[in-house]
Amino acid sequence: MSFPEVIEQSNQVLQALVDAGERVIGYVYPHPPHEILIAHGLKPSLVRTNPSVVGAYEASLQTFSCSLTRNLFSQRVSSSFPLLAGIVFSGNTCDALQNVGDIWRKRFPEDRVLRLTYPVGDFGEASVDFLSMEIEALSNELTGLYGVAFSESNFRTAALLLHEIRDVLQLFYTVRLLYPSLISYNTLSNLVGEFLTAPTQEASERMKGKWEEVVEKLDTNQKNTVEQLRESLLNQDLSDFEAEIDSANHRIAVIGGMVEPSTLAGLMENIPGITHTTLVLDMLSFGFKTVFTPPVSIEGDPFRESARSILGAHSEPTQEGLPKRTAFLKDVLTKLSIHGLIVCEQSFCDPDEFEAPSLEKAAEEVGVATVKLPLDSELSDRARIEGRIQTFLETINAS
Amino acid sequence: MSDEKPYRKLETQALLQQIAFRHGMEAMAASEEGNLAWVSSGFPVEIPVAMNVFPTYPEQSGAIIGATKIGPEVCGFAEDLGYSQELCSYARASIGSTDRPDDVAMGALPKPQAFLGCNNICGTILKWYDANSEQTGAPVFLLDTPPLEAEQKPHHRAYVKQGLERLIEFLGKTFNTTLEEDKFREVADLSSRAIKLWTQSLKACQNKPSPLNCADRFLTMAPVVSSRGMEHCTEFYEVLLAEVEDRVKQSIGAIREEKIRLLWDNIPPWFILRFFNQLAARGVVFPADTYTHAWSGAVEGTDTDSLLDGVVDIYSNVYLNKNLDAKVDKMCQLIKDFDLDGFVMFSVRSCKRYSLGQLVSKEIVTEKTGVPGVVIEGDMVDSRLFNEAQIQTRVDALLEMFV
Repeated sequence: MSFPEVIEQSNQVLQALVDAGERVIGYVYPHPPHEILIAHGLKPSLVRTNPSVVGAYEASLQTFSCSLTRNLFSQRVSSSFPLLAGIVFSGNTCDALQNVGDIWRKRFPEDRVLRLTYPVGDFGEASVDFLSMEIEALSNELTGLYGVAFSESNFRTAALLLHEIRDVLQLFYTVRLLYPSLISYNTLSNLVGEFLTAPTQEASERMKGKWEEVVEKLDTNQKNTVEQLRESLLNQDLSDFEAEIDSANHRIAVIGGMVEPSTLAGLMENIPGITHTTLVLDMLSFGFKTVFTPPVSIEGDPFRESARSILGAHSEPTQEGLPKRTAFLKDVLTKLSIHGLIVCEQSFCDPDEFEAPSLEKAAEEVGVATVKLPLDSELSDRARIEGRIQTFLETINAS
Repeated sequence: MSDEKPYRKLETQALLQQIAFRHGMEAMAASEEGNLAWVSSGFPVEIPVAMNVFPTYPEQSGAIIGATKIGPEVCGFAEDLGYSQELCSYARASIGSTDRPDDVAMGALPKPQAFLGCNNICGTILKWYDANSEQTGAPVFLLDTPPLEAEQKPHHRAYVKQGLERLIEFLGKTFNTTLEEDKFREVADLSSRAIKLWTQSLKACQNKPSPLNCADRFLTMAPVVSSRGMEHCTEFYEVLLAEVEDRVKQSIGAIREEKIRLLWDNIPPWFILRFFNQLAARGVVFPADTYTHAWSGAVEGTDTDSLLDGVVDIYSNVYLNKNLDAKVDKMCQLIKDFDLDGFVMFSVRSCKRYSLGQLVSKEIVTEKTGVPGVVIEGDMVDSRLFNEAQIQTRVDALLEMFV
């Protein structure tokens, strides 16, 4: 499915939810407190960029605002935004999102713009304390805005649902890494896309059905290996993971920030030299990092447990922890036999662009070739991007 | 034709050069002794200073690199390492000059033992110092001060205060030092006195003619950024204030013929400070700006705990850590207090935290104050991103409104 088709399908799903009387709340940063939002009777949905909408932001944003915010703003100005009951902007994640949330409130006073402020620091319980208070404040605001109080029972149901969805998506990611012929990256990205559009019971059932098809092709040893790697990826520690990886074909991974797996899947499908087993892993914010988030415990305080889950995910370039991220990347590249790394840089995205040289250096230190891919939400330079990927693959193939 | 310049140079500038030289020498000595930290401009420097850790400022280094017109070259060194030209030019200048210090005539800083960053000025600071840390091996300490929506909430205060406690622990371990209460109080007092003197100099610009212009303030702000909490910083601002008050007493303006009074918003283009002097020739003075007014507020308290509370207050509430409404309010207040005719917003491509929102706030400020404004776009260090002719055209259009 191409990215425009993903957008189209996502909008149809959202429209159906709205028609059925559901309230859909959009989020921009890939680590929203899904379970808390659902506990207020809301359906959380990633606010996506739309490559077909361009250039309607100029009266409010300068060109050096990141391409993500420019595109979202353009969609809103041109009234092509999905029907949302509200939108949650992140605070303290990057300067563009921080300021654009304020600008949005000024330009569209009729919109319900909420803010969830995240800790940048990796300070253990202090960070959990802070984020849990922020989530509780958000919850109170939701109660006031929508007249629906936090429901403990909905929270428990949501925690179970999110656990199931993430669990099965983690398995897909792991199978893709170990046995890429069993699930295409395109399928994986579509399933992740469904999660991002709306984590519903129906989506979960579809994912579980697909998993049944995949798991029956695995023998017992393979199942054990999949489970072991999934745990290692979730714990961000590959030190104990040992397995024979079939690396006869070239294996490529992708890393970067605010890019969706389906964008990449769409980019890759027509490039000569890409086979169905080439792209084995994305480590993107909207893909891998959203999926590899530990489950929310239903035993403790919901806000605190939600904060603990969010902060337990793989950290973003907007957070402290660059040395930890580069060390983990090196482990992934070496232990999972990756031959080439594509580093995505979203145009005018400070966190992406600052981190890219460090990621390239880390890959270089373990002998993995890299290519940097400057992207914008409209893929306005698509031919050149495809050319870069093709050249990169040819270089790897020749080595 | 008269050779007389349209602006008046401050006598205090000679002292400024001495202070800058002294600061540079002390930084080199501190580096050799293992006591140097690179510090962001909004960092609560009173704590490292009280713990005998010497601070030096990459942002000031960036300003010097910009002012000496080597910005494109030094930023280019960082671009050669893979850092995008779209990134902050202070950061690129810092990364570039760290990579090739011998190729930077002025502005390369001595090697630090730690990086102390506070994200109350921008989110970039963490990424920038992470890059510097990879280059030097020195660790990064981040003081996380989440941006404020309105009043600071109790859990924000608690979180920032915990950060300060971690800072004291970090400095203790990294530099084998402790925080003594008497010393902390003394440094905080010196810092507060310097800021009070600086604030008085800024306030004096409410007079007509204004005793200081933008360029004067951008230069004389250096000690309050780099040497807060040090004796010589306070002494410098005593001298500056005396000169400013003398100008006011004698009705001597920063420019010879003051006709139009404007507000400046944002960091200046360091490589072309003559921009302000050229406007001075047309009778335009900038009695106020949002940038130099950012250093205000005193750290007060009677013991370590209350001083830390004071630090939380001051450093969480800096201009750039507040929302768009607060920024608009500040601009409107400055326009009113300084009786300004209009404003110029410099949209700095390097600084998203400062610049994104200007297109909207321009409209609101004009609506609230009734004075016109203009947005011009460029950069503070990288002159490749500054189109002088285009900017001149826009400023001309603004000035025509006052004829």
